[in-house]
Amino acid sequence: MAELCCAGLSFRTAPLDVRERMALSVEDQDRLMDQLRAGGLEAVVLCTCNRAEIYAAGPGADEALEAVREAICERGGEQARSHLYGHRGEAAALHLFRVCCSLDSMVLGEAQIFGQVKEAYERALAAGAAGGELSRACQAAFACAKRARTETGIGRAATSMASAAVDLARRIFGDLAGRPALVVGAGEIGELAARHLGQARCKVLIANRTLERAQALAEQVGAAARPFEELHALLVAVDLVVCSTASPTPLFTRESVAPAMKARRYRPLLLVDLAVPRDVAPGVHGSAEGVYAYDVDDIQQVIAENVSARAAEAVKAEQIVSEEVARWVRARAVRDGVPVLALLRQRAEQIARAEAERTLQNLPELSDKQRRSVEAMGIAIVNKLLHGPTAKLRALDPSGAPSPLAGAAAELFGLEGEAPPKAAGGKS
Amino acid sequence: MTHLLHTIALHEYMTAALLLLAHLVRPFKLGPPLARLFAGSGALLHGAALGTLLWAQGGEPVGLAQACSAVSLALVVISLFVELWYRQPVLGAFLLPLGTAVLVPAQMGDSGVLVPSLKGPILPLHVTVALLALAAVAAAAGVALVYLLMERQVKLKHFGILFSRLPPLQVLDELNRRLVVWGFVAISLTVISGAFFVRGTGPGLSWSAKEVTTLAAWVMFGALLLARFLAGWRGRRVALLTMAGFGVLLISFFSAFDPVTRVAGVQ
Repeated sequence: MAELCCAGLSFRTAPLDVRERMALSVEDQDRLMDQLRAGGLEAVVLCTCNRAEIYAAGPGADEALEAVREAICERGGEQARSHLYGHRGEAAALHLFRVCCSLDSMVLGEAQIFGQVKEAYERALAAGAAGGELSRACQAAFACAKRARTETGIGRAATSMASAAVDLARRIFGDLAGRPALVVGAGEIGELAARHLGQARCKVLIANRTLERAQALAEQVGAAARPFEELHALLVAVDLVVCSTASPTPLFTRESVAPAMKARRYRPLLLVDLAVPRDVAPGVHGSAEGVYAYDVDDIQQVIAENVSARAAEAVKAEQIVSEEVARWVRARAVRDGVPVLALLRQRAEQIARAEAERTLQNLPELSDKQRRSVEAMGIAIVNKLLHGPTAKLRALDPSGAPSPLAGAAAELFGLEGEAPPKAAGGKS
Repeated sequence: MTHLLHTIALHEYMTAALLLLAHLVRPFKLGPPLARLFAGSGALLHGAALGTLLWAQGGEPVGLAQACSAVSLALVVISLFVELWYRQPVLGAFLLPLGTAVLVPAQMGDSGVLVPSLKGPILPLHVTVALLALAAVAAAAGVALVYLLMERQVKLKHFGILFSRLPPLQVLDELNRRLVVWGFVAISLTVISGAFFVRGTGPGLSWSAKEVTTLAAWVMFGALLLARFLAGWRGRRVALLTMAGFGVLLISFFSAFDPVTRVAGVQ
């Protein structure tokens, strides 16, 4: 039966220059999968900026792992070898599940990695490189990741400047849908802020010193551009302002915000300043009823709180991963057939012993020899009853696959929820 | 029997309040639904107990204990409604303990005597709207307190547990507005219905403490709503005024129960 293994390198084990060499193009990844498939392995290639990993499944775990390592070193050079890690069996599944749940990510709980693994799996599926074993492992890992996201808060708190700004706005306004927001500055941070605000369904306006840049960004993110000269007039109309310009002097001061607040009849106004030097003067926060202004240091503080909250949630997510890996191991054992036999025998012997013990409690006058005979009788009945099923379940079909009766036996005797037998696996 | 139902309801409210407070400190998935279950079933038992009592009295409420019980029930129902409507279980952590606390004096078994001259068809309506007004304004004051707490976190830039778990400022302000509007409508109806049987002799004012404080509360909430709608008042100022208005209405509530004659409703 095919066994799961994985090898690769990540930001935890390899420096950036090594990871850069493993930044494979989609075509390279396809070629790599073809090469492994030709060697009789199922394979999924995962390449992100923080990790390059190959998940494979083949008849011999050690051989498969070695083939995968060699394939990586062919691309990444001999220098990559010393940064490689490898897992097989249950340990490989645990690694895959943790990666999908973003427990092994640089930013704990970030959502991107789940999509990246899913994309890698779909590419392998399209290329015919992902077979039954790898598909089952990936599907189980995806289900685990979804469960971790739903049942824990690992992905809930924002950990980037732009998303933390949007989170902050939610703490003041609640739902942001339809709320007018102004992004001042059309640089990289402005773009990210505009995208996050757009995702929160805000009505986004973009103002920039160069109107053309504002228009270009507005077109990209589905917002509207406004001339920079209207900046202070816009304060009356919008509820949220995110600034990220390179202006050497503040764009908003107490004096410029005060008339706008009066005109807005003191409706709350949130100014998030992501620029250094600051676009919002220090005295603006709380200068009038309803004015809230936060700078980069404040946002960093929010992010730090969120990161520690995510770390607390990660403990719960790790528990979910353990449960899901155990479930995957159990399902695999059931498919494997022989462990089904072991589980069946274990269950039957437990029943026989319990019944013998109960009978013996009512017969205190029996001698030790007689007691042992009663116990032996119980086990003998189990052996005779299970002789036929044992022979059938041990009979492999000519292709070497386990008996198709294994799954039926597990279902019939309700063995799928039993404690998993010890599975082969470990880190190498 | 009604005492037993009250006692069970009180324990259910306490359990629900503790669950919501625990959820505020450390969120857990089962907290809010369990709290709703306890508070909801408690409210049903509470309603049955209160209904039985009023039925036995011919629909006329008597005494401080029954008044507290009615306010408590209204507060619990408002708390459940607000929690479900706004999907903010944290609000229940503040409103439900308030409703529970009000039920405690009701357990002391005060039974008042109603002045015969006050008996009449308007009395049940008058007392009902008066108690509903108090419950709505108490809930608004509770929400105002949460607003002030949250606003403090936002202003002082304390990004801790309260900042991340209390409802957003604008949601609290909007909820305060709605509760104050309902409270004001109920106070207005209380004043109008009360004017019909002052001293049991017909329309007029006796200038008793209860009447003066009720009118003062009515003026305060009326002015507050005018300032909100016409001058755009909101936020901290409105929250503080709501709490002050609740204080005045509370004085009116207690002054309705004369310690000598122990008369309920009106004197």
